[in-house]
Amino acid sequence: MLIVLFAVAVAAAWWFTTRAKQSAIGDTITVYYAKADGTTLVPWQVSLNPARGERGDAALDRRSTIFYAATQCVAGPPPGTQAVRFPAGTHVLAVDVQGSTADVDISKDVASSAEGGFAESAEFKALVWTLTQPKFGIDSVKVKIAGARVATLPGGHLGLDEPLSRSSF
Amino acid sequence: MNRFRVRVFSLIALFFACAVGARAQDAPPNVWFQGTRLIFDHAVASQGELMVSTRDAGMRRFLDRLAATVSYQPQQRYVVITAADRRTVVFTLGDQSYTAGGVRAQAPVAPLADGDDAVLPFYALARALYVEPVATPSEIVLQPRIGALDVRTEGGRTTVTVRAAMPLVTTTNAESSERVQLSFAGLGSSLAPAGRAPGTAVDSIGVAVAGSTKVPITTITIQGARGATHRVLASGSPDAYTVVFESARGSVAVNAPPTPPPLAGWTPPPAGAAPGYPQTATTQPAPATAAPLIVAGRATVTGLAIEPAADDALAVRVTLSGAASYAWHRLNDNRWYVDFQNTTLTGPGRDEHPSFGAVQSVRVRQTGSSDAPAVRIAFSTTGQQRIDLAPSESGLVITVSTATTTDVARTGTGRTGGAAVVASAASPDPNASPSDTGGGTSPGWKFGANNGSKIIVLDPGHGGADPGTQHYGLVEKVLTLDIAQRLKTLLVAQGWTVRMTRETDVDPVSAENIAKMRADGKANPDDRAYLQTRCDVANNAGARLFISIHVNSAPIESARGTTVYWYKPQDAPFAQAIEKNVIPLAGTQDDGTRHENFYVVRHTSMPAVLIETAFATNPGDVALLRQPSFLQNVAQGIANGVKAYAGSPSANALSQQQ
Repeated sequence: MLIVLFAVAVAAAWWFTTRAKQSAIGDTITVYYAKADGTTLVPWQVSLNPARGERGDAALDRRSTIFYAATQCVAGPPPGTQAVRFPAGTHVLAVDVQGSTADVDISKDVASSAEGGFAESAEFKALVWTLTQPKFGIDSVKVKIAGARVATLPGGHLGLDEPLSRSSF
Repeated sequence: MNRFRVRVFSLIALFFACAVGARAQDAPPNVWFQGTRLIFDHAVASQGELMVSTRDAGMRRFLDRLAATVSYQPQQRYVVITAADRRTVVFTLGDQSYTAGGVRAQAPVAPLADGDDAVLPFYALARALYVEPVATPSEIVLQPRIGALDVRTEGGRTTVTVRAAMPLVTTTNAESSERVQLSFAGLGSSLAPAGRAPGTAVDSIGVAVAGSTKVPITTITIQGARGATHRVLASGSPDAYTVVFESARGSVAVNAPPTPPPLAGWTPPPAGAAPGYPQTATTQPAPATAAPLIVAGRATVTGLAIEPAADDALAVRVTLSGAASYAWHRLNDNRWYVDFQNTTLTGPGRDEHPSFGAVQSVRVRQTGSSDAPAVRIAFSTTGQQRIDLAPSESGLVITVSTATTTDVARTGTGRTGGAAVVASAASPDPNASPSDTGGGTSPGWKFGANNGSKIIVLDPGHGGADPGTQHYGLVEKVLTLDIAQRLKTLLVAQGWTVRMTRETDVDPVSAENIAKMRADGKANPDDRAYLQTRCDVANNAGARLFISIHVNSAPIESARGTTVYWYKPQDAPFAQAIEKNVIPLAGTQDDGTRHENFYVVRHTSMPAVLIETAFATNPGDVALLRQPSFLQNVAQGIANGVKAYAGSPSANALSQQQ
């Protein structure tokens, strides 16, 4: 009985995942990170996992891809690449997409060290540029810290009271 | 959407049917990790895999030990685990294929949604985090391993980096300058020994594992080339250990490539194929999102931004609603002006003394009669400067070069506008400042003008419960107040009235602002940085200028120098003047001025800057910050910048009367 049920589940999953068509977003996304100078952004290409594209639900596809892009940006480039990185342990809790605005909830680890304007600027410039890449259809990014709205980052420089956009930097 | 949900939920239902049935027969095995049993409360064994929920206590404990985090949100397709070394492991719900550090792999069972949580193939996840499940007759031992050995050769120098799941406890035995032996207690390894890579400073790397399954010891022996020397490099991560070998030939042997070659040798991910690795890629320019707004009748100047442009030129962007004809005139005494006919100004006149490039002053006035109004923009320059006009649908950009011209033309005309473009287009180049790209940021007319006020507001950054950055025994809030007090004395001597947002070690916060921001949903009780109060001091005083003083810090030790941040277009020339005057006196590296959404420069209504004087994380800058003479020089540099930008207050008051 158990084996049959599982076989059905696996078959359903297989059927489900193979019904893929080409995504409007494509198989790769661009993620930016800030170089050691704190302002120069470097783009890198990240494959979507798996690179099967859309499953017939454009909204889910877009929402998931934007969420994925945010997690990759906050994790930063591969180890060994010199970059201005978010503080250790910082991760994305949630990303809500409303029209052309992405609302990103970041874990409180982002406040774990009182950072200078240099790091705040570098980290969030990379995040905003990543989320506002043209194919996402996002032009502004709101930020929450551990679910709460804040006027500034705890470091006390970057304003988070208004949505950020590429022209914020 | 609905079809997808239905399928997901049907899968979940199936899974739980299995899970319930499985508990009796197929209970999770005993799993041993780091000296104790891992107790799973939401897990089921299946097809040789252990399926565990992200809310499971054992899963949580395992990830905490590895300093790894989970990002998952219901109604999302992906589950992203970030390892301590910043590699990501990405699972897709309903798909056996996953990626670890950009490398694709297959799990025996696909992850599934489980309400607000996700159920993941645990062994696959553990392996991706460099922890190998080793089966013994009685249990599964989760053995942390050395997961990667990166070997990177650049010129005559070979860098060997060992990466593991856990912070590395190392015993180093340097047998000679050519040979080193590293022992890692508690870590196993499945790495193969490697032979010599041609052209490197390392001849061989040997890997040996001893000890027991539960307490393994891995020894890595690196044999350098003949005559090579080695040293251990400080690593940014406790999970990585780096040794550098330099060949005796040194740089002679080298055909040094300009950039490090891709990782080679013993790491699993081949750099070119790994999707998670940086590749050279060009950025697609963002399409302009301009929304035309047609205004009939008389033209109006709705915005005017004065910004530095390339080669020390000064650009004045005039935004017009409606179409207007203009005529420009060059006078013999280094003055130049342009009149917009049948045009009105939405704000008062404006006087700027940018002290930038060749421009001494910019003056904006409403002229003409009520029947035939005109707006005049006049420049006073150091010589017969080349001035370029670029009309557009949104208005006119006037660029005053530092180069002089021999053009004999004394007058010219043109036409501009027809549609006012609300310019907030994204800059196509992430590394260009808005002034380079023309992505205007001014929401409209800003009173950057000389308002005749003699008041300057100084804002010593942080204070009270908020110490700011703290490194090498330096405390930012103390340094910023020190510099501000020195600056106050200098500015008072120049004739300014100086107000401070704080005179002591307090965090200036008004109860009214806290209440307002909480009501607006823009703050919460933990949000201690209510910077609005600092802005209010300047806005309510009608100050002429606002200067916020800070000390910088960075996660990278090499970052150093002085940066002046600005946000509003009218801040830019002021920021330039401060930077230009502080650098020679302070002796710090010139990091330039930067456009940035910093709260205090954004929410102040006058030209405002935030100066990050030096880095408390760079040893060179720290040595400077410890010297009172440096703090005095910074203050003097800022005071000189104020004078260069705004003159002295008495002179301003005089010019206002004229």
